[in-house]
Amino acid sequence: MRIILDGKNLEVDGEKTILEICQGQNIKIPTLCYHKNLFPEARCRLCLVDLDGKLVTACSTKAKENSKIVTSSEKVLMARRRNMELMNPGVDIGKLSDDFEAREIYEQVGLDNERFKPIKNYLPELGAALVRDNNKCVNCGRCVQVCEKIQAISAVDFASRAHNEHVTPYFEKHLSDIACIKCGQCLINCPVGAISERSHLKEVVEALNNPKKHVVAQTAPSIRAALGELFGMEAGTLVTGKMVTALRGCGFDKVFDVDLGADMTIMEESAELLKRIEKGGPFPMITTCCPSWILMMEHFYPELIPNMSTCKSPHEMLGMLIKTYYAEKANINPKDIVVVSIMPCVAKKFESTRPELNTEVDYVLTTRELGRLIKQRKIDFVKLEDEDFDPTLGIASGAGDIFGNAGGVMEAALRTSYEIATGKKLKKVEFDNLRNFKGIKTGSIKLNNNVIKYACASGGANIRELLKNKDKYQFLEMMACPGGCIGGGGQPIYFDDKVLELRSKALYEQDSKREFRRSHENPIVKEIYKKYLGKPLSKKAEKLLHTRYRERDGF
Amino acid sequence: MKDKLLLNILHEVQDKEGYLSEKSLKKISVEYNIPMSKLYSVATFYTMLRTKKQGKYVIELCGSPSCVLNKSREIEKFLERELKIEIGETSKDDLFSVYKTSCIGCCDEAPAMLVNGEPYTKLTVKRVKEILEELRKNANS
Amino acid sequence: MQILRETKLEGLRLARKVGRQKVLEILLKKKLGGRGGANFPVAKKWETALGVKADERYVICNADEGEPGTFKDKFILKNNFETMIEGLLIAAYVLRAKRCFIYLRGEYDYLREELEEKIKEVLEKSKMKVSIEIVRGAGAYICGEETAIIQSIMGNRGSSMYKPPHPTISGLWGKPTVLNNVETLTCVPQALVYEDWNPDYRLFSISGDVNHPGVYEWELGVKMSTILDVVKPREKIKAMSFGCFGGIMPVKKSSSVSQETICKGNCQHGAFSIIFIGERHNIVDICLSIAKFYTYESCGKCTPCREGTIRLVNLLKKIKSKKVNEGDIKLLKEFAEHIQETSLCGLGQSCGNHILTSLKYFKKDYMRYIK
Repeated sequence: MRIILDGKNLEVDGEKTILEICQGQNIKIPTLCYHKNLFPEARCRLCLVDLDGKLVTACSTKAKENSKIVTSSEKVLMARRRNMELMNPGVDIGKLSDDFEAREIYEQVGLDNERFKPIKNYLPELGAALVRDNNKCVNCGRCVQVCEKIQAISAVDFASRAHNEHVTPYFEKHLSDIACIKCGQCLINCPVGAISERSHLKEVVEALNNPKKHVVAQTAPSIRAALGELFGMEAGTLVTGKMVTALRGCGFDKVFDVDLGADMTIMEESAELLKRIEKGGPFPMITTCCPSWILMMEHFYPELIPNMSTCKSPHEMLGMLIKTYYAEKANINPKDIVVVSIMPCVAKKFESTRPELNTEVDYVLTTRELGRLIKQRKIDFVKLEDEDFDPTLGIASGAGDIFGNAGGVMEAALRTSYEIATGKKLKKVEFDNLRNFKGIKTGSIKLNNNVIKYACASGGANIRELLKNKDKYQFLEMMACPGGCIGGGGQPIYFDDKVLELRSKALYEQDSKREFRRSHENPIVKEIYKKYLGKPLSKKAEKLLHTRYRERDGF
Repeated sequence: MKDKLLLNILHEVQDKEGYLSEKSLKKISVEYNIPMSKLYSVATFYTMLRTKKQGKYVIELCGSPSCVLNKSREIEKFLERELKIEIGETSKDDLFSVYKTSCIGCCDEAPAMLVNGEPYTKLTVKRVKEILEELRKNANS
Repeated sequence: MQILRETKLEGLRLARKVGRQKVLEILLKKKLGGRGGANFPVAKKWETALGVKADERYVICNADEGEPGTFKDKFILKNNFETMIEGLLIAAYVLRAKRCFIYLRGEYDYLREELEEKIKEVLEKSKMKVSIEIVRGAGAYICGEETAIIQSIMGNRGSSMYKPPHPTISGLWGKPTVLNNVETLTCVPQALVYEDWNPDYRLFSISGDVNHPGVYEWELGVKMSTILDVVKPREKIKAMSFGCFGGIMPVKKSSSVSQETICKGNCQHGAFSIIFIGERHNIVDICLSIAKFYTYESCGKCTPCREGTIRLVNLLKKIKSKKVNEGDIKLLKEFAEHIQETSLCGLGQSCGNHILTSLKYFKKDYMRYIK
């Protein structure tokens, strides 16, 4: 089909929207409500273009044969600017965090004169994991769509109508009072920062400034594959060494690796699996690294509580070991230790408030908050030298690295379970069937005389789908965020799923370079069991590394 | 939700209970497998569905230009004064909730209002006073 | 009145006798257009839906008239509902639909029980195996818009959707769906049965400063003087508002009323509703009440309509407070035009008509407030 786009004659695919055509031609069209993975609702009206003399939204309109499209006439630019003016009058671009798309869009559209006063007057909600400020909201509806369609939770929706239309949980409740799983996918998809994480940055900075405190950072597997993006580095750049250096530069006394916590989780979880095989159930056993999945289970599938592994998540295990094993070893009063987890996740902030965990994690920072801290300290991240984790709790196996990818926990668990159960070494430690971006991944493995069928799901809707067939399987891995922790709600905001693929690749790359690929080979793991815990599922291990769950209201 | 229509379900509950309480919506949520956020979203979209407790009589005064030309603003002021409330509120005795609507289609008999869905037309302040008195009497008997 | 002619299921009998194609031919020949304002040929609409391959098709009767000043559908519901049901059944027959809906606006809920009885009666007599369900609207003007009505019936917020797809191709539950309003459906059997049926007879809702407001039937092109002679102004008439969408204009006795003069062709919803405004009123007042209608009824989905209509109200209020200069009037005009140009559906696309027309014809009324 032929069209004239900004004066140029073009042959284009008639099935494509004008926006898609423009993207292919490298013509920038500002969008707010549009997201590749969502249904275009054409709400924000920023992507206006002139189609044969009429203003239309590029995201929802297809071109017609011989139509003439103009993307940047004065008429088009003025119309976009007026909609921006209506949408968010009073917005201070300078104060808008870099993290959000809107900053770029606002600059692109340009908002020079504000002729209307803001009319919104909402009370912001301050939750343990999420902060929601409807005064910043532009009603783009992306959070609503993500929560309903991708996460299958439907915690929020639009309420009221006309200028009173606003996003809210039912009956204007707070997210903390309803069946919200705190995955933060709404946040990742919010272009304006109306939903943000509950920041622990102030508290962490206070601890860092307090000379009496021994402040320890522990970083989750997927941070190193994403942190660089906040400093303009290519997605998928591994920045493990720079990250450690930066943390030391920020004033942390020790920097430990949650990948080691992941190895510990695998030791406990594999032992649990083998024990269940011996005892005959309950199956399927289900992983518990993801706090949003745990919330989802407690709210919507409490009947699965017996199926859940009792393992704490990796950073909770390591946090506990820091204040016990490490404190003893380094001869520091645990009360003087402050454990700060750097997580790709906002639900971890909620997790650390669960009484069942007897948590030893004091604060949780997201990847984005760490980025902010590094910037505050004026550290030139890109130019940093590489440093290593502190060795006491800083050596991990490749199995721990891949926890950040959906399917990674399963792969790590299978490596160890297989070798411990059979006493044989795996010829190939990579499970290719688990290394893709499908929402549900399945497979089976023979452990002696037992065939173990396993499956992994990431994203709430996929989890619900998989649970319909749960009885077919013995072992399930559930991750609430699409793609797993690399796509977590605490990660740098991304717009293109390609970013997730690159982050994922980086973690597999880190795994492939490790001296040890299996959790049970990790010398620190061996030492912790030898000197401190005895063996997996020992009384001490049960006490320190395991937890329990509770039924929650389904609404 | 093809067999039963949500709007009709919500109306039926409201007819019975006066408004759509959290409790009732939760029942509907379970029975028809619709998320609460969606039910609340739908219920608050439509002005004739209410998610808060209402007075015994819900008055919806027409605010169309036809009614305005026929002095509906006087009726509006009278109602606010007489019931000591503002539009959108419920009187202290829980008898009256008053709203303004866009148009109730009684433009040829303006000004007009609905009381619990029944139209009252060709209103004057005097007539509205009588109507209120009668409703009060009915409420007490 | 032509619209009150009864057909007593004769139209349905005839339709079944001559067959689907012939019905479409007759309706096309008789020039029956949609009476919601667009005047799109009914036969064409039905043909499109019939042409889509589908296991199910739906027919919706739009009984959600709600534009201020409009009450002619209520007049039909009260006075010739049986004929309307017959029209619905003919549509169901032609489209092979098994399920029909009547979306009854919440403000007319008091008519519902009687309508339900009549539906039962007519259905029994017709021996058609279709269901006709009344969907109880709940106070949302926007649900008169065809994509919003479909959302509403499916149990969603009544927000407008962009087109395509058109409901005739993908409507209720993704199936081809035909939507006609009360007046249109009532005309269907009448057009089939009566040789002398005239497509140019329209219902007019007349209200405002007149002694005889009500529903009238006139032929398109009727002279304004004729209308005024009948409805008898109760004071000198300064202006007329065509519903809310058509704008506010001076009354010219010699002018004639037709589709073109009402909405200048750019208004989708305009029924023939005329609100006569007497001399003692300031037009800004009337504009404010119309502007409030839009702010109240906007579905809230798209930015210009959600955020813009309230700004228009605030500007009009500010103008009335006399604390303005000409810049504010410019701003009013700029945004009235802007919202119309960039909104998603017909509501937003016409929500500035009253402001733009009144600024054109009654600038004096605005200037009274300027410092």
